[in-house]
Amino acid sequence: MLDAGPPMTDKLRAMDAEPSPPHDPDGALLVAYANGDAGAARELVARLAPRVLGQAMRMLGDRAEAEDVTQEVLLRLWRVAPDWRQGEARVGTWLFRVTANLCTDRLRKRRRSVAIEDVPEPPDSAPSAGDRMQGEARLHALSEALGQLPERQAQAVALRHLEGLSNPEIAMVMEVGVEAVESLTARGKRALAALLKGRKAELGYGDD
Amino acid sequence: MAMTDEDELEMIFAQARGLRPEPDDDLMARLMADALREMPGTVVAAPRPKPGWRDWMRALGGWPALGGLAAATVAGFWIGLTAPAGVSALAPGLWGEDVSVALGVDEDLLSLLEG
Repeated sequence: MLDAGPPMTDKLRAMDAEPSPPHDPDGALLVAYANGDAGAARELVARLAPRVLGQAMRMLGDRAEAEDVTQEVLLRLWRVAPDWRQGEARVGTWLFRVTANLCTDRLRKRRRSVAIEDVPEPPDSAPSAGDRMQGEARLHALSEALGQLPERQAQAVALRHLEGLSNPEIAMVMEVGVEAVESLTARGKRALAALLKGRKAELGYGDD
Repeated sequence: MAMTDEDELEMIFAQARGLRPEPDDDLMARLMADALREMPGTVVAAPRPKPGWRDWMRALGGWPALGGLAAATVAGFWIGLTAPAGVSALAPGLWGEDVSVALGVDEDLLSLLEG
């Protein structure tokens, strides 16, 4: 089955527009950081924190957990900075990989502690804001369902459908071939659809 | 018309893709603190404390010097209070015969007032 996939996001268009070998401004900043440039640190935080937080939020559906992941991902980035070799890897690719890994780790831990049928209502849902509540419930259900998938499938599906990466980009992030990515996303998506099927009424998109 | 499972899934994906959370100030501060703490070659400057009694003591030479200072103070006080014979015997040699030294009160003050 062919996946049409979502439209490319702005950041990916920017990524694609860059010639090969790609110039990686984040990589240059990271090298400056490794040389003790506090200004580079500030710029990196400003550039990268929203990206990582967004990816983590979309996968986890939980702000507090997404913030923890963001802090952990950036901490790891600071620690690899002294060994960073510009031109060998892109910071953006590295971030997608580490964030996806940490998120599936968290989803797996959730799965151990809570069965999907017992998932509580999402927190902070004001009774008056019905639409918002339903939106949160959907995102929460999505992250719970992602947690039910094998980790590689969950990562591939999230990178494809939540982050909007192309299959070759996902192949780089996950360090596998493009065919493997196609197979992982197709199987993952089918499994997700089946998992969410039983929750139609609850998530507010029943037959209408 | 009923939505297919695929449509439903696409709807949820689209909703998730629309999520663009902005880090708040607290998170940014935490991230920045981590970045600076982990930055290679960073020497974290400890804040300089205000000088306290320990600094004065150190300036005087620490405990050994302070011990000597205390001993000298006590000895001086004791000499002044008891006027040992040796001191008045030494005074004529230093200041001449006609100098009398009264180191301490060896008379009854009340008797002076009466006289």
